[in-house]
Amino acid sequence: MKVALLLERRREQWRDLEQLCQEMERRGARRMGGPAVSRFASLYRAACADLALADAYQLPPDTVEYLHQLVGRSHNQFYRSRPFRWRDWGRTMFVELPGRLLRDRALWLAFAIFWGIFGLSLFLAFTSRKYTQEALGEVAMGRFKEMYSQPAQDHGANAGPTMTGFYVMNNAGIGLRCFAAGLLLGVGGLFALVFNAVQLGAVFGYMLTVDERANFMEFVTAHGPFELTAVVFSAAAGMRLGFSLVATGGLSRAASLRRAAVEATPVIGAAVVLFCLAALIEGFVSPSAAPYAAKAAVAVLSTAMLLFYVVALGYSGGE
Amino acid sequence: MSNPPRQLDSRIEIVTPENIAFEYVLAGPFRRLPAFLIDVFIRAAALFVIFVACMFFSVIGATSIGLGMFLIIWFALSWFYGGLFETLWNGQTPGKRLLGLRVLSIDGQPINALQAVLRNVLRDVDAQPMVGFGAGFAIPFYMLALVAMASNNRFQRLGDLASGTIVVVEKRSQLRGLAAMTQREVVAFAQNLPVNFAASRAMSQALSIYVARRELFSPPRRFEIARTLAEPLCVRWGLPADTNPDLLLCALYYRAFIADRPGDQRGPRAERLPAEVSSP
Repeated sequence: MKVALLLERRREQWRDLEQLCQEMERRGARRMGGPAVSRFASLYRAACADLALADAYQLPPDTVEYLHQLVGRSHNQFYRSRPFRWRDWGRTMFVELPGRLLRDRALWLAFAIFWGIFGLSLFLAFTSRKYTQEALGEVAMGRFKEMYSQPAQDHGANAGPTMTGFYVMNNAGIGLRCFAAGLLLGVGGLFALVFNAVQLGAVFGYMLTVDERANFMEFVTAHGPFELTAVVFSAAAGMRLGFSLVATGGLSRAASLRRAAVEATPVIGAAVVLFCLAALIEGFVSPSAAPYAAKAAVAVLSTAMLLFYVVALGYSGGE
Repeated sequence: MSNPPRQLDSRIEIVTPENIAFEYVLAGPFRRLPAFLIDVFIRAAALFVIFVACMFFSVIGATSIGLGMFLIIWFALSWFYGGLFETLWNGQTPGKRLLGLRVLSIDGQPINALQAVLRNVLRDVDAQPMVGFGAGFAIPFYMLALVAMASNNRFQRLGDLASGTIVVVEKRSQLRGLAAMTQREVVAFAQNLPVNFAASRAMSQALSIYVARRELFSPPRRFEIARTLAEPLCVRWGLPADTNPDLLLCALYYRAFIADRPGDQRGPRAERLPAEVSSP
């Protein structure tokens, strides 16, 4: 058989496939209708067959090149990214993720490290002023003191939405950065975790020793549980990424990293959600004129929600 | 399924469920950089427009809401711009679409939302070292990404390694037909060739590459190039030693690709063509 004849016969089909491909890229398969899609499928299979037989047909190299590209492009239209399904998402969020969180040793490790160092730092800052000076520095101490010299409701009047936006951007950004840094053998996440624990512990310990403690407690109580848990979550997700490079469990390092990434991504997703919830509370509830009891109730409620999510849903779901 | 690239020319072979192997050209750092810069520009322009739009809230006395919305959109765009577009546009951001790049899983399948988001969140590590200018602005140098890309054979940065993705070039090339061989002397000369001549695979490749490019050379240069193949053939087939080598190769091309005998455009074995696809 002569190539000229083959090309002459096939050219029309390849052109058709190329056009359908372009149309599909522009408009999406759903709007093209059934007949066009099934014609696309059969043309695609025919082009695949032509490519497979290109050697036997002795097609010229530039035609083979063209076919590689045509098949590649069609392949990408034919096998598309799976659409987002709400039901799958709900199952991941409320059944699989709690179970995974509860059984995630990196999370418990991060939890223990954070609260252990936080408590230690708090105790040291409460008892020794020298430690506070080392950990925070005089400038920061003065700034914190001044920041809480007014009652909570005075420094956030009418700025709720802006502050919420700012907290989302700043805190969730730090959380995501902390997660990403975990990729570097887990050290980045660990460093951020310890750093935050020392700093926050020192601030708490220091503020409890000064006169502004009432204002301070009134501001931080409500959003504390969500925000601190989110810090722990994002560090844990980062550590899971980094440790997978060290403890591969028999896989190649790349495969181990990919597996850990699938496990860690929902955790960082949960952390971002928690950061956003904390930002809402921090923007609207914490600086409000509500009595301290109400803010404490918000804190208790959010802690209860977290416990319910991780422990109750975690035991019933997962595995 | 994909096999690791065999050569140094940045191609990757993907075996489809139809059991066909086709090749992609992997996109290296310097193909991806312009797409990234376009995305940065688009994102900055979008942010500016959104900022102006949010400032209209201050006209109705709700500056705080406008600012808050702007900050949240800024956060979302700076972390999830790539992930969002790559999920919705099947592995492409606007920059990648303009430059014909696409993100795929390493096995050639399209990426899912999780991979798209993850590879773009981990961009933050790849972008290190960043030199900051305060107020949240920093210039990323992407040195870690460059090192990672240089040390694996699929040009994957760290985010690609973690999410199991590759970036490929999806270029559009035109289908060029065969070279027209209508000069009378070529057709006439083709009759002098042995009847049982059948081009081997390597021969037909060499012929089609030669014929596609011969127009670019001057006649003496064509002679020089064609002689390498033409001289041994002249000896084997007993053709006169002063045969025009260029003419000989053109005649071979004619016989190999266009017609068995002059005037026989439809060869005798035409009925043995494999079945064509029937359109539904």
